[in-house]
Formats: sequence, structure tokens, C-alpha cells
Amino acid sequence: MATHPEIPEVSDEKLVRRAQRGNMPAFEELVGRHRDKIYARAFSMMRNEDDAVDLSQEAWVKGWQRLKQFQGESSFVTWMTRIVINLCLDQLRKHKRQRAESIEQLEDDLGGVERQMPAVTVNPTEGLERTELRARIDKALGQLSYEHRTVLILHEFEDLEYKEIAKRMQCSIGTVMSRLFYARRKMANLMMSWKREQQS
Amino acid sequence: MDTELMLKLQSWVDGELPASEAARIAELVRTDTAAAALAAELRMTRGFLAGNEPEVKLPESREFHWSKIQRAIERAEAEPRESLPWVAALRRFLVPVSGLALVAFLTVLSIGIFNRNPSGTGDELLVEEETLSRHVDTTTYNSQANNMYVVYIINKDVVDDDPMDLDSDLDEDMDDSVIQ
Repeated sequence: MATHPEIPEVSDEKLVRRAQRGNMPAFEELVGRHRDKIYARAFSMMRNEDDAVDLSQEAWVKGWQRLKQFQGESSFVTWMTRIVINLCLDQLRKHKRQRAESIEQLEDDLGGVERQMPAVTVNPTEGLERTELRARIDKALGQLSYEHRTVLILHEFEDLEYKEIAKRMQCSIGTVMSRLFYARRKMANLMMSWKREQQS
Repeated sequence: MDTELMLKLQSWVDGELPASEAARIAELVRTDTAAAALAAELRMTRGFLAGNEPEVKLPESREFHWSKIQRAIERAEAEPRESLPWVAALRRFLVPVSGLALVAFLTVLSIGIFNRNPSGTGDELLVEEETLSRHVDTTTYNSQANNMYVVYIINKDVVDDDPMDLDSDLDEDMDDSVIQ
């Protein structure tokens, strides 16, 4: 890969302006800088390495094609993250249409037992190293349904408001609130159960 | 605590509850132990998630990842570009409209042709219809001036013997000539 020697010193904004004029090496540098973040977002939503690689690649291609539409209202990486999120949501919707709705799935959407559980009053993450905490969060995310996980990611990691999440997920604000509530409760309870396991 | 109240409590924690309701929920959290415990749990969950998103690395080298993207971009640019959205919308509108216009034009044209007759009055029409039946022929006569529409149904089996039927005579002559 022939990276221009001066490019690593250049800001994202300048690289974007160059890339908007058709400068491919500038875009290549942007990909190099943010590829892990874009892949990580795709992986957090899809929970599958191959899907995440394909979708993050597709996001970069779309990013290049739509680069002229980028006006700089947000940072470039935020804009790219929105693109990959939309691609993941499209893909997840396709998967969902393909699989039959089971009673378990419906119960999962509605929250099931999480509503009945008593509140977790002790912080289950206290004393954990950051690496261990992240590993447990990752494990817990993997145990959520994709609807719960996606709402949680969009709210907690992307800082989107209920209204914006509802728009992206094509559901009502009430559904977003309900999914977020049960996702958080399940997360807290999973973390608590692992803490208890560790103590015993 | 019912589900609606729990969701309002969450909205309050997230700062998304309208001010008109926020005071009521704040009071509930202050006075109700279960509400206070739930609010604390929701805040705690937000707290440990914040800034602790799992770190994942792309399982491909920078060069390999870029080479795939570059190839995909080149492939996409080599393909014919998609039409602009407004062009596609216009096309979606124009295709059925032009189809309808064509049908209307042909209808008007055919009416004009069939309404023309040698006398020049243009209001009488004699048409022999082609039928699939071997036994029946139909002929229609339409006179707009007399407000009349007549359909002749002719039994071919009977007409074949009619001396006025030139076609059948001709057929017979030809058959005769072959025999001779």
C-alpha cells in the first residue's frame, strides 16, 4: 500500500476534503484510521465476524460513493458509523424476516422474567479490571436478543435519543423504551450472577 | 410498580421525560423504596457501560482490508451508475402514462379508420368478423346516422350451397380443375 508520507499528519477534515475531490490515498488513510471502530460497531450488532467484515467493507464503499454528501455536521467517523449501523439494521431485518417467530422470541421481546426481578442494589462491576469488565459486557451483550442489544448499543454507545433509535429501527418510541428497559435489567442481572459465581 | 411507571422512571433517568412529569417521578423516587432501587440500578448499568464498550480489532491487515475495499469501489464505479432518484420517479410515472396514451391513440385511430366508408358520409360501417367456428360467420353493420347496429350470423353449412357464395364456387372450380 503506497501511503503518501505526509498523510498520517493530516487531520480527518483535510483528508475528507481531499477524498471528496477524488483523492483515493486520502480515503485510504481514513479507512486505515477508523477501520477498527467501524468493524467493532458492525461486530457488536451482528455478533458474527464474517458478517461484520463484509458489512464494514460495504460501509466504506458506500462512504466513498456518498462522500460528496458529507457536509461535516458530525465527525467523519460518526458519519461512517451511522452508515455501518444502517447496513447492520438492514441485514438484521432480513435475518429476522427469514426466521420464524417463536413464542420464546416474543417473550424475549416483551421482556419476560426481567420485569419481575428485584433491583440489583450492589454494583456487580466493582473491583473489576477494565479488561475484565469489557469482556463481561461483551459476554452479556452476546446473550441479549438482537433487538435488545441494538437498542442498548444505540443508546449507550452511540448516545442516540429514543426518537432517533425508533426512526432507525423502524419501531415506536414505546418499543424502544421497553426494549432498553429490559436490556438494561438483563444486563445488570447477568453481571450480578457472574459476580456471585466468582464469589462462590 | 406497573410497566408504564417503570418506563417513565427510565425516561426520567435518561433525561427524556417531559418536565411536566419529571417532578412527579422525582417525588416517587424520593418516597418509594422500590422506585428508588430501580432508578439506582438503571443508573448503575448506564454507568458501567459508559466508556466500556468492548474493544474489537478487525481480523484483517490494513493492506488486505483496503485492497478489498478498493476493488469493490472500482467494481462499483465500472458498473453503470444508478439513476438519480427523481429520474427514477419520473420514469415510474411516465411508463404507465405513455402506455395509456398509446392505447388511447390507437383506439382513436382505429375508430377513425373503421368509421370511414366509400360514400364519404363516414357514419356507416360494414364489417365481416372472422370467427373461429367452421360453421358460423358473422357480419356487423353499424349506422350512426340511423342509430342502428345489426349483426348477421350466417350458417356456413347452408351458405356453402348458396350460388352467391363466390368463395365456395371458386373452391369448387379449383377442385374441379385439379380433378380434370
